[in-house]
Amino acid sequence: MNNQSQAAAPQPPTGGAAPDTDFGFRRVTQAEKKPLVRAVFDSVAPRYDLMNDIMSLGVHRVWKRIFVTRLRPAPNRALLDLASGTGDIAQAWRRLDGGPVLATDINAAMLAVGRDRATGRGMVAGFTYVVADAEMLPLPSGCMDVVSMAFGLRNCTDKAAVLREAHRVLKPGGRFFCLEFSRLQIAVLEKFYERWSFNVLPLAGRLVAGDSESYRYLAESIRMFPDQETLAGMMQDAGLAQVRFENLSGGIAAIHSGWRL
Amino acid sequence: MSETNATIDPRLLEILVCPLTKGPLTYDRAAGELISEKAGLAYPIRDGIPIMLPEEARVLTEGS
Repeated sequence: MNNQSQAAAPQPPTGGAAPDTDFGFRRVTQAEKKPLVRAVFDSVAPRYDLMNDIMSLGVHRVWKRIFVTRLRPAPNRALLDLASGTGDIAQAWRRLDGGPVLATDINAAMLAVGRDRATGRGMVAGFTYVVADAEMLPLPSGCMDVVSMAFGLRNCTDKAAVLREAHRVLKPGGRFFCLEFSRLQIAVLEKFYERWSFNVLPLAGRLVAGDSESYRYLAESIRMFPDQETLAGMMQDAGLAQVRFENLSGGIAAIHSGWRL
Repeated sequence: MSETNATIDPRLLEILVCPLTKGPLTYDRAAGELISEKAGLAYPIRDGIPIMLPEEARVLTEGS
């Protein structure tokens, strides 16, 4: 796709296997992607929220607020929050009277930041934390009322596996929700958005976090992520029913949802 | 690891299964590990958080 961005980036060792997934605009093998993504999040974990503020001009807070209300928090509903990270969704769910929440993330550093933050706010009861890979959840089938994933699916190697697992752990009648960057639907804004993503963001990442490569990955991974219709199709393929999506900020982000029947 | 014995929610232990086999786990309190007999893996608990990643688990040897 974009070979210029590859030139400066260190190439991961390929070990002979053919590249079969994306890491930003680079092609890597599935085995290579996981440690690469983990390195990005280890690097950005302490300043992750600041990074989100920079990337979305603070709008991610509004998107997350909308997202959590869509989950319909209720005391008798159990939530699995995948890629829970610093815990924005899990904590908002509890604040809105949601039932018990199981917060998982593949990155222990991110999850620890989330737990410490919740505990610091006096939020302990109703939270449990598990380091887990969303592609192979350590949970039995049919145990959750709601499964949420905000800004996580993009970073997963095997997105189809994540969607199948979300479907599997849902109770019949349960619903999966995904909040993720998506495809801007307003053509006149595209050039600005492009400049923002590939010029301003890596620079801001370097100035704020001292790490422009990680931010470049994040910008590229947004562009490589399937658009609204494609993701909806992937969710259907995973067995989710009545899949729909809602564009946020003209499609810069979108909320997808689907039911396990 | 002195942190391994930090409190862990008993209800959590009830619900967790092995991510590979989806089979049951047994809690080794002394070692602070969740054992999957079927997978031959021991998942560590660090700072009260179970680490349910096969690549982070200890491989169980025969007869241990």
